[in-house]
Amino acid sequence: MSVGPTPPVRRFAHGSRVPGWDDAVDLTKDPAVVPDPATTPVPDELRAEIEALMERYPDRRSAAIPALHAAQRLHGWCSPLARTQVACVMRLTPAYLTSVASFYDMFELEPRPLHDDVYVCTNISCSLRGADEVLDALTAAAAGDETVHVRSFECLGACDIAPMASVNGEFVGPLEPSDAQRIVDDLRAGRSVLPEKQLRSRACVDPGAHPGGGAPHPDDPRAS
Amino acid sequence: MPRPERKTIQLTIDGREVQAIEGTMLVDAAKQADVEIPYFCYEPKLGNPVGACRMCLVEIEGIPKLQTSCSTPVKDGMVVHTRTERVRHAQNAVVEFLLVNHPLDCPVCDKGGECPLQDITFGWGLGHSRVIEPKRHFVKPLALSPLVAIDRERCILCYRCVRFSQEISEDYQLIFTERGSHAFVATHDGHPYVAPFSGNIVELCPVGALTAQPYRFRARPWDIEGGAGVCTLCPSQCNVTFTVRDEKVMRVLARDNEGVDDGWLCDKGRFAYQAIHVDERITRPLVRDAGVLRPTSWERALEAAAGLARHRGRVGTIVGGQASNEEGLLLARLSREALGSSDIDSRGMAGSGEAGAPIPADLARVLAAPALQASVPDIEFAHTVLLLGCDPRDDAPILDLRIRKGVRRHGVRLAIATARPTALEANAKLGVRCEPGGEGRLAAALAQAIDGTVDAGAPAEIAELAQLLRDGGEDVVILYGERIGAEGAAALVRIARALRLAERDGAGLICLPAGANGRGLREAGAVPDAGPGHGELDGPAGRGCAEIAEAAATGEITALHLFGTDPVRELPDRALWRRAMRSAALVVAHASVLTEGLAEHATVVFPAESHAEKDGTVVHPDGRLQRLRIAIAHPGEVRPGWAVLAELARRCGLETGVRHAVDAFEQLVAAVPVYEGLTLEEIGGGGVRWPERPQASALAPGEPTTTGGEAPSGDGRAPDAAAASNGALRLGTYRPLWAAPECEISPSLKFLVPRQRLELSPADARRLGIDDGAEVVVAQNGTRLNATAVVRTGVQEGSAFLAQGLAADSANELTEPTIEVSAR
Amino acid sequence: MSRKILFEDIDEPGLNTLSVYERRGGYQSLRKALGMSRAEVLDQIKQSGIRGRGGAGFRMGLKVSFLPEGTMAKYLVCNADESEPGTFKDRELMQKSPHMLIEGIAISAYAGGIDRAFIFIRGEYQHQAEILDAAIAEARAAGYIGERILGSDFSFSLVLHRGAGAYICGEETGLLDALEGKRGNPRLKPPFPAIEGLYAGPTLINNVETLSTVPHIIRMGAAEYASIGTETSTGTKLISISGDVKRPGNYEIELGIPSREIIYGLAGGPPSGLPVKFWFPGGSSSPVLTGEDLDLAYDFDTLAKAGSMLGSGAIIVADESRRVLDTMLKLVKFYAHESCGKCVPCREGTNWTHKMVQRIFAGEATPMDLDIMGSVQEQIMGNCLCVLGDAMAMPVSSMIRKFRPELEADIEAARERAAARDLAAAAELRPLAETESLAVH
Ligand SMILES: Cc1cc2nc3c(=O)[nH]c(=O)nc-3n(C[C@H](O)[C@H](O)[C@H](O)COP(=O)(O)O)c2cc1C
Ligand code: SF4
Ligand code: FES
Repeated sequence: MSVGPTPPVRRFAHGSRVPGWDDAVDLTKDPAVVPDPATTPVPDELRAEIEALMERYPDRRSAAIPALHAAQRLHGWCSPLARTQVACVMRLTPAYLTSVASFYDMFELEPRPLHDDVYVCTNISCSLRGADEVLDALTAAAAGDETVHVRSFECLGACDIAPMASVNGEFVGPLEPSDAQRIVDDLRAGRSVLPEKQLRSRACVDPGAHPGGGAPHPDDPRAS
Repeated sequence: MPRPERKTIQLTIDGREVQAIEGTMLVDAAKQADVEIPYFCYEPKLGNPVGACRMCLVEIEGIPKLQTSCSTPVKDGMVVHTRTERVRHAQNAVVEFLLVNHPLDCPVCDKGGECPLQDITFGWGLGHSRVIEPKRHFVKPLALSPLVAIDRERCILCYRCVRFSQEISEDYQLIFTERGSHAFVATHDGHPYVAPFSGNIVELCPVGALTAQPYRFRARPWDIEGGAGVCTLCPSQCNVTFTVRDEKVMRVLARDNEGVDDGWLCDKGRFAYQAIHVDERITRPLVRDAGVLRPTSWERALEAAAGLARHRGRVGTIVGGQASNEEGLLLARLSREALGSSDIDSRGMAGSGEAGAPIPADLARVLAAPALQASVPDIEFAHTVLLLGCDPRDDAPILDLRIRKGVRRHGVRLAIATARPTALEANAKLGVRCEPGGEGRLAAALAQAIDGTVDAGAPAEIAELAQLLRDGGEDVVILYGERIGAEGAAALVRIARALRLAERDGAGLICLPAGANGRGLREAGAVPDAGPGHGELDGPAGRGCAEIAEAAATGEITALHLFGTDPVRELPDRALWRRAMRSAALVVAHASVLTEGLAEHATVVFPAESHAEKDGTVVHPDGRLQRLRIAIAHPGEVRPGWAVLAELARRCGLETGVRHAVDAFEQLVAAVPVYEGLTLEEIGGGGVRWPERPQASALAPGEPTTTGGEAPSGDGRAPDAAAASNGALRLGTYRPLWAAPECEISPSLKFLVPRQRLELSPADARRLGIDDGAEVVVAQNGTRLNATAVVRTGVQEGSAFLAQGLAADSANELTEPTIEVSAR
Repeated sequence: MSRKILFEDIDEPGLNTLSVYERRGGYQSLRKALGMSRAEVLDQIKQSGIRGRGGAGFRMGLKVSFLPEGTMAKYLVCNADESEPGTFKDRELMQKSPHMLIEGIAISAYAGGIDRAFIFIRGEYQHQAEILDAAIAEARAAGYIGERILGSDFSFSLVLHRGAGAYICGEETGLLDALEGKRGNPRLKPPFPAIEGLYAGPTLINNVETLSTVPHIIRMGAAEYASIGTETSTGTKLISISGDVKRPGNYEIELGIPSREIIYGLAGGPPSGLPVKFWFPGGSSSPVLTGEDLDLAYDFDTLAKAGSMLGSGAIIVADESRRVLDTMLKLVKFYAHESCGKCVPCREGTNWTHKMVQRIFAGEATPMDLDIMGSVQEQIMGNCLCVLGDAMAMPVSSMIRKFRPELEADIEAARERAAARDLAAAAELRPLAETESLAVH
């Protein structure tokens, strides 16, 4: 049996396929303990927001995820500093928040400037309808622009508009590769993105949901 | 707090009837019945099972899915199968999965031969693998800290190490990051995992992923032997096993004793064994010759030391905390019977400046009453634990873990009454801060609030604390440090009475002495004001450490006998001690390393034993007698301490009758009434608590005569807040865990040896214009120390803290209660 | 046409506001429920026979009755994580009729003797979270949330909690850990959440759709609700249908109608006009069915009997033009990516399977590898801490079982392609002399 050469696999700079594993600790650093408020400055609004969040739960630690969202909004990513600030307000170790943040796909642990997020769903339903081409087109349209971060994402819960993307949380679809440039242009111009394709204004497809004869889905036989 | 009841039930495992305590996990019940179920992630010491590895799956009749036996408590009538086809299939599957990404580099793995993954793969695996996919390969090993190396290829993500960090030591520095098969063990942003108990993760790791830097590649399991011992580097006296190869200690492992250490060790206990085998260690007798200490013969050294006899009545003896009970007894006999002096002290000094006049014999005796002694497990099950003037993290680290366990798992309410914020602050229900040196006054105010001598007027926080102690449940355990002094001890007697601690099994006191065997040495009579077993002295009381220094400096004492201690290094007021040692005509020392005072002033130095070489007994702060055994031969010309003392006594004219180690033990048992009838067999491997023996009734506490001074003002604050007004700060001191000569000469612990840090409050830092991390000068009466400023929330305004016991810039240089601080 | 219950008013303009919702009869069920005893309300839920709409299909009434009585803090958690690929019904409900969910939560909390409720919504649903937050604020201002609701002695609080992107947080115990501010790792069961859940207190966890149905059960009465659907699958169900169909989207159906009526009747069938090749009847975790299964009644028991499951009610359709292998790769990659990593069979099993499928694509597999793959799926099933591992193993097994000849052909084809590619590469690299010497042979 002939076995061909191993196909190319994406590798990180350190040669492995998994990020981070090859990093040793920096022995010149001090251990990361719970930050002392006296020596860890935290922006006032962030502190206030996290404190308000902690109030909402019987256990303050429940605020970890919302607090990381808040810190990411402020810093553009969950930087070590951002995590340390959250740790300081929440009286936890930064490691606690590193552990939590790295579990969830929406937290950025790689350095990024303040940016727009474009999540392109490439799960089953969207890929059946051409998601991979849309992702390529969007990646190309945003190439070189650090402030537009395009990434593939698992099912975003909008297979009815497949293929789709979430642009800063705004779901748009069905997308064509030709929509890619407009999305990026809309973002750069600070406009509402592809207004006609936004999920928020879409009617339910169930014909029975329109007893009064509301607007049926365009594909519905009754539409014509 | 009531401890869980134990009921025996019956179940069937693999067709056999098995008895087990209800609630035991199935995997343990099976083990007791000699049925081995393989597992990786289960470790009851780490708290609730996580059920992550799935290795322990078994079939239980009536439950359709296989169950993890690590998380299934046994029930009466349960029928369990551990060897069916289904179970075997699941076990094969888990082993195969575990090896999907495992490098199988056993030949070069340090864990080889003692690796659960190897054993379980052999015992429960299929023996072949179908994985041909490329494995993860990574740079390895990597440093996780200067003490621990991590090999992430080998890690099976069993959660043991991170659970230790998160749920046992609660430092929460070691974490899992990322998700799924990308998950790995890490720290925050490349910070090293440095924490007092970090070494335990090496022992917990079931594969070769975490290895101890000092042990890596030093031995294979078939090269080594284990020797049971006790660590005497601090009062926790954890039980250990020395891994010995060719008469050298290669490693120290925990020897689980629920009554002492719960199976954990601090990193000092785990790694300071290196001090046994370093060049700095003294292994031959030294005698000062023309101003220089030179190696010499035992004969010459003993002869020189016997010169103590010529200073009869004018010899001061200081006993270091690591001395055994037998050594303490021989030293006391030597001093009193041969040298005619009761100027012997082993109490060290916890505080400096105003704090801590040592606890006098009458109070010590009352506080040692058997009914008042809490045991270590009592800490875990108490309703309330109070820390009074101590921080277990520094004073007896393993107890810090025990308190955390109590709070986390049994809902113990922790109260803290100290000057310096402790490591347990975040776990406390209530904290009361006093001024440095104010611990005694605080205790007195608390006593008043509890016994109701003053109803109104107590500050709110003290009233609250009193209420917690009084109404929070009867089982109150109070841990106190010697720094509470005579005043505090007198107050403690009142508190114990008011709370009726003597009447409850689960309540009581635990004193954390300055020296590792502080309790045993007091009981052996190595104190100036009492004989063995807290007995009355024939003559008047002698001088304590501070007065011995004073007397030596003024020439009233002319010879010093220093057993395992260098007062210049260890005790307060270095300047005084330097003078004392310089003035003394003869300074006989027993030591392992030449610290400053000895190097400059000792006349004779005998090489001392390490705790791995010693034969003798020590007493744990909770009254447990424990036995030290010889794990390795004495290196060089080192001789047993008891033998050196017996010989020295003989040459000073006292025939002790001690010809073997056991003679010394027997004399001790004869001298201390509460030890009566005790044998080494009874002490055994786990020790025996004398307060639990019937003979304990021989100690009649009596009434204290010391009252602890006039009634205090009631708020525990210093009467004059001399501080703050003129910019001076009130000085408090503490002894960091790492401030010990053993750490300084253990290569792997050197990085932990502290440099002086000045801890001050944010408010004072602002006022003085000192930033966190700034280099500062601390001045007092012309003495100046360098330190790095650490701004710390929780330090009270007006207070500042410096470490004792350092080689340089130590707080022992200072004697006054206040300091001036300026930027350098 | 199926009766509409949840969707009756769904496109009513402004339904997300309190005023419109109230105008359409909103919060009347809560009023009615508070006029009944707790036991009566619970009995209604039990009698309705409603089974969980989140995936497992467990009877809601039974789950509520597991909650211990007593004064300890008890919690209700609404599972709005909706991350099962193909599922998007909760999204439409929350976006368009948030008060229906709030009302359902209030009634269920009352029935369970619960005074603290949380909605755990996936982080990606930002718009829906904003709408819910606004609705909660309105409901609180109107006294539907808070102290002594509608003058009764029932009080409860409701907090919306946003996740941050992890499928496993849909698993109820992973969700609890995430809500407690931890990594969303599932917990060992037992103890089950009803006994020891959020903050170690008894906790009722239900899906958005399940809870949104509760007001209707109270409104129409359990008997009437139970008369809809089949005996063991009562009521209506929202179906999210996507993939190769003309009209993808959410439909409300009466449980028990033929699947063909959903895929063809409602969604119009594949736009290509090709026959259906395979379909997931209940999200990507459900074993695939084929074109031959289109006449199965769409209800819990029939689908289970057919070797699959109703799951979240998400149908993904693929027509004859699709390769099973492509969908398998997407599927396996998803579960490998979403495995939390806590337990060994799931972590290593999903990851190994993913590598094996990649190897097929690289042309390095042989048909025999399908045996290993199948056996690995068996090694995962039933051995994991939660059922995420099974959620991959079940559909993958079903694909291997039902489409083996096609997969084998694709494996061979990939090998041939790879061999040809290697040959071409080799020819290009080989020095001339060697090529010549080869020619001699
Ligand atoms: C891996 C996994 C993912 C799940 N995802 C969801 C989900 O996104 N939404 C949901 O409601 N239930 C989900 N579930 C089911 C829940 O565990 C739980 O059964 C459900 O929330 C209970 O509510 P119900 O009885 O109303 O369906 C998931 C289960 C598993 C094992
Ligand atoms: S490093 Fe060792 S102890 Fe930690 S998770 Fe990996 S295998 Fe377990
Ligand atoms: S030991 Fe039971 S799951 Fe790991």
